[in-house]
Amino acid sequence: MAKALVVADIKQGVLKGSTAELLSKAKAIGVETAVAAIGSNIESLIPSLVNAGSDTQYVADDPALELFSAGPYASCVVDAAKQFGANLILFGFSESGKAVAPRVAAQLDAACATDITDVMLQGDQIEVIRPAITNKVLQRVKANTEQMVAVVRAGAFEATEGITGTENVAKLSPPEPDLKAVIKEIVSDAGSEIDLADANVVISVGRGAKDQAGIDLVKELANDLQAGFGSSRAMVDAGLLPHSKQVGQTGKIVAPTLYIAIGISGAIQHLAGMKGSKVILAVNKDPEAPIFNVADYGIVGDLFEVVPILREEIKKIGS
Amino acid sequence: MKILTTVKRVVDVELTIHVQDGAIVEEGLQYVINAWDESAVETCVQLKENNGAETTLVSIGGEDNVDIIRRAYAIGIENGIHINDPALTEADSFVYAKVLQKVYEKGDYDLVITGKQAQDTDSGQTGIILAEYLGLPCVSNVIGIEVIDDQHIKASRLGDAGTEIVELELPALVTVDVSINEPRLPATRGIMMAKKKPITVMDLAALGTSLDEVGGAGLKSEIVEFIPQEERKGGQKFEGDAAEITAQVVDLLANEAKVL
Repeated sequence: MAKALVVADIKQGVLKGSTAELLSKAKAIGVETAVAAIGSNIESLIPSLVNAGSDTQYVADDPALELFSAGPYASCVVDAAKQFGANLILFGFSESGKAVAPRVAAQLDAACATDITDVMLQGDQIEVIRPAITNKVLQRVKANTEQMVAVVRAGAFEATEGITGTENVAKLSPPEPDLKAVIKEIVSDAGSEIDLADANVVISVGRGAKDQAGIDLVKELANDLQAGFGSSRAMVDAGLLPHSKQVGQTGKIVAPTLYIAIGISGAIQHLAGMKGSKVILAVNKDPEAPIFNVADYGIVGDLFEVVPILREEIKKIGS
Repeated sequence: MKILTTVKRVVDVELTIHVQDGAIVEEGLQYVINAWDESAVETCVQLKENNGAETTLVSIGGEDNVDIIRRAYAIGIENGIHINDPALTEADSFVYAKVLQKVYEKGDYDLVITGKQAQDTDSGQTGIILAEYLGLPCVSNVIGIEVIDDQHIKASRLGDAGTEIVELELPALVTVDVSINEPRLPATRGIMMAKKKPITVMDLAALGTSLDEVGGAGLKSEIVEFIPQEERKGGQKFEGDAAEITAQVVDLLANEAKVL
């Protein structure tokens, strides 16, 4: 039986939903599952790792792993993959996953695919589907090796309801630190804000919001909905918002249940980052804006007028 | 400091891409320098201007790659290496990384700067795999570089929890994001000068290797087919009284789409 090792997505000590989604998918294609959890002080996450659907838990728990460092993280994944005999090594969509996956593939001499939206097994043959050329086409890719490392695009798989696993913990030895690439500090510009990558609702603001007052107005709506707050490239280029907020080909790729684009015209670059959302609502003054070509619901109007009404109407539903 | 940068010639993504019978339709496609690599070239030139460096560019591909090498010359890159070998038409990230490893080993480089991904495959693997093959310290998705001394640089990387500041011991490799800078356009004088500048052209044999050695004969994975992306269709668009249409849309979001 083929085996899949899912690398747990742990952020600030919390296990992210993508871990259960990836494990659910692995179980659905009929493979044996394990999870690799890497971090500091993560013992308490073991029950959640089991509940996420893993049947073996490889845990690397060491103070030296508190801050992300691609080299040591890759060593832990390689160690777990070898112990488990994994054919498929799956990472959730994250910057750390994207940094570690190619290292693991190079060390295991395995195939590597990033940004996948589906994975199939034909006997022992691994195949994946992934978007390419700025999300304009899909590729079906076949591994010629027995092992493939893959990074799964956000929102590609759903967690099976009631999924669970069995507790079978294996401790990994702490890896050698990377003395030639030393992480000095992490400057957080996101603070305690909701993470764009795994928010259920994402609200992005574009040039239509004009300035800080416009941004603040849209932020209030995001707060009401406990939504992730994103932006178009124009606002980042104008210096109004940090790059970490940018949704698009050269920023973050999101696929929430509801995406609300406010004052965003819908350049290809931006669309590539949010087209995978389940439902899209667009608010724009220009009835010809390309964003309406991808939006399920469109409101043609001035955002300064529409957003306060949106807030009122949404509050009515909540109450 | 000696810097090596890599540049890929890729399809222009501003144009429509058509798929027929599982393959990309070549007709009507145009090719450009990969946007992330353009930022890598700009990063090299800025390091040269601000800190003093010797800059070398390598590009793998056919005759047409000469154009992007000359463009990089026009911006300020000093040396160009063109790996032109028809055997490399069907290469993947691992093969490119092996070829680049050979190039690196022929020079005496302190720093390798690559774009974090190419806009044709969007894979983001080659630079990181190259660092693994070379055993170099590596930081990906870099948005800022600061030279500390002859042996060290500081790289700012956009990570999951914010900007990660990493101190690297040279030689090292970084892959850069487009947000690191705004690449300059070549000036006319630069373009004229670039036309006369020699380019070192090599095939695999000249590089001292073979298709077998770089893994080109047995790719780890292959594209079985291209599938057209199902385009999203626009849904219901409302115009008119803001209060009325907004209330209507919120009702639809709650009761039709069931997402509120």
